[in-house]
Formats: sequence, structure tokens, C-alpha cells
Amino acid sequence: MPEPPDSEAVRSVLAEGGDDPGPLRLAPIPGGASREVYLVEGDTDRWVLRRDPPGAQSFAPLELEHRLLGVAADARVPVPRPLRFEPQGGAFGSPGFLMEHIAGDSLAPRLLRREEYAAARQRLGTQLATALAGIHSIDPGTVSGLEVPHGEAGLAACELWEAELDRIGEPLPAVEAGLRWLRLNPPPRSARRALVHGDFRLGNFIVDADGLAAVIDWELAHGGDPVEDIGWLMIRAWRFGNDDLPVAGVGTLESFLEAYEEAGGSRPNPQSLRWWEAMANVKWAVICARQARDHLDGVRPSHELASLGRRICEPEWDLLQVIGAG
Amino acid sequence: MQDSPSAPELLDAVAAYLFGELRESVPREERFRVLVAANLCTVVARELRAGVEPSIEDLRLFRHLSGAEEPGSSPERAPAEARRAAAELAGLIREGALDSRLEETMAALAEHVRRKLEIARPGYAE
Repeated sequence: MPEPPDSEAVRSVLAEGGDDPGPLRLAPIPGGASREVYLVEGDTDRWVLRRDPPGAQSFAPLELEHRLLGVAADARVPVPRPLRFEPQGGAFGSPGFLMEHIAGDSLAPRLLRREEYAAARQRLGTQLATALAGIHSIDPGTVSGLEVPHGEAGLAACELWEAELDRIGEPLPAVEAGLRWLRLNPPPRSARRALVHGDFRLGNFIVDADGLAAVIDWELAHGGDPVEDIGWLMIRAWRFGNDDLPVAGVGTLESFLEAYEEAGGSRPNPQSLRWWEAMANVKWAVICARQARDHLDGVRPSHELASLGRRICEPEWDLLQVIGAG
Repeated sequence: MQDSPSAPELLDAVAAYLFGELRESVPREERFRVLVAANLCTVVARELRAGVEPSIEDLRLFRHLSGAEEPGSSPERAPAEARRAAAELAGLIREGALDSRLEETMAALAEHVRRKLEIARPGYAE
């Protein structure tokens, strides 16, 4: 386990922002792949600290994430309220920020199976639709530092994942065929540019007994076609066995889209949705291959990451099914 | 030659231990990782039981789709050759060389993906 940030330095940041929280305890929260996440506990209050691993060089993204949480909160999307960002060499050592602690659970199997979340499951589909419509109401041009691809968002996605496949070096002809089909059958041109969360799926939602409490993990946010988020949300990987409920394993697509429209989102054209669902399967297949490669290269040795190399075939299969070639 | 149990039988034994005894005794937050390890043992056991046959079929398929000659190689080289043939096919698809028969290519590749799933996640393609 890495050395946690200095608790007195964290305390002084909180004290500057308001009341001195007293002595703090910092405990790592496991699960963050590329960031360190700590639970910060005082005698009466809790916060979460998210920072880059010391020595990592990604100054802008965490600062951007901090900014995005603020923008999302202003758009009334449920998120942890962001507190102070500190740059490299600041109070947290490496770049990082403090945020409000949101009580609840994010682990998919628990959310989908436990009795205590039965009521939450009933509401979650609609709440996710409302939150996503809120995210998509944000003009990406207003978020400084946010990556907004030039030209067609779909073409940019093809180029992005082709380049990543080349870096990984794993031969995946089914994924290549899917990508080729996506290039040859582009979705209808979309003039819409929205803030895209980029990883809007079960696992990145904090849920309590009342349903959605917060949307977390904004590190893949970018500007683009909002339908991308819906396609990613519905792939089979995030249904965790509830295969007939495409919306996070809790809801149907139709009721999700109705709620999304009701909350101000614009209903995606079916062809466009199918395109982005296929692309989402490409993306998950490539991410599985990337994680397995990170294990093999010693970047992050882990049998969990290694095991994803044997899961590439799942999104490959779904990709071919969505395209209609299975 | 090794004595009994066979390699897949040994993995079955390890998987049974991980799924059963060990999973019950580790802290809650470690259980998922134990489950992943147990599941990997069952995948590799199936992979060993299937032998080189799936690689031979994939090699034949990839070469056919690439318009290359049928393989005449030895079975033990099939896995390595199948990877090479997969890379070649992937390259041809990327260049657009198979655009005129992309739908057939995808339908044929579904058979390759199905073979991988039979090892890695039986039942997924049903």
C-alpha cells in the first residue's frame, strides 16, 4: 500500500475552508485503478481524497475532474461536492482534491441482489436517466481543459480505439471487423455536442436505500455525442447477469429513454443508438485487452487484470450480435 | 509424462479449494479476488482439456478469410500460427481489403468468438 498523504496537511486544508475537523485518519479505499482514493475521517465528519499516485504525471486530468464535479453539481447532477484542489507539491503531495463523502454502495452484485436495495432498484433506472440528461445539458465548451474532438464524434471514437489496439498489439480480428463496419456505416450526422461522462455504468454510481446518491469517476469525461453514454450504459458487461435488463441490470431501455426525454434529453435515433452500443462493445473489448497487457508488462501486476484477457470474447460476441452478424 | 492427476484435474482441485474453503475464510473485501482466481482455474482447465483443436480451427478460418493457403503445419504449432494469422487478418480488415465481404467475414468470425467463449464463459453465447 502506498504512503497516504500527511493527515495534518489535509486537516489544515479543511480548517482553512471552514471549521477545524480535528485530528484525521486516512484509510485507502481499494478499487481505484489509476488514482489513489482515501477515506478521510474526523471525529464527526468524513471526506474523500482523490489524488494521483506520487510520481505520476497527470496534473491536468485531476484538476479537470475537480472542475467537472463543480459543473455537474451546478447542473443538479448528484455528485460528491468538490472541495479543494491541490497541485503537485501542494498539501496532498501529488495533485489531488478533497470532496464530500457520499454514503452508500457502488458494488454491482450487492446493488443488484440485496434486499435492502430493492426499493432503490425500482427507482434507479429513472434516476439514472434524469442524471444523464442533466450531464448532457452541459455545454462542453464551457468546461476549460475538456477534450472535445474535432469533426464527427463517431469517427474520432474509431480512430481512438484503433490506435489503442495498435499500442496493445493484441490481434483481435472480430474487433477489427466491428470497427470496420462502424466506419462504413456511420450514424446519422449529429450536430449535438454535449458533455459525455465517458464511464456512466453500474460500478460508478453510489446508491443508497433511496436509489442514486452520486455519479462518480469522471476521469474519462469528454465532449462528444451524448448517445455514447447511453450505448456504454447498456452493454451486457454492466448488467451483471440481469441480461434482460439493459439499463444497469435494473431497467428496460424504453422506460429509460422515456425518463431521459422527460428530463430534457433528446431521444436518440435508433440507428445512432445501435451504432454507439456496438462501439461500446468495441471499447470494452479493447479495455479488457489493455488491462491484460498492463498486467503482462508489469505496469500493474494483478490476476484480476490478467483474467480480463479471457473476457475479451464477451464484448466481441455482443458486438457481432448488435451489428447483426452473429 | 506426469503421474495422475492430470493438469486440468489439478486445476479442478485448486478451483474447488478457492471456491469453497478459502472464499469462506477470507475477509469480505477479498472474496471477489478469490472468486476471480477460482474462475481462472476453471477456464484454464477447460482450455487444457480442449487442447489445440480450437487453434487449428481458428487457423483454418483465419487463413480462409485472408485468402491465404490452407495450413499444412504440425498441430503443436497451431496456437502460435493462429495468432500470426489473426494479426494478418486483422490488418487486412483494417486496410479495407475485405470490405466487399465484410458481413460474411463477421459471420465467420462469430464462430471463432464462440470457440473462445466455450472455454472462457460457457453459456454466454446461448
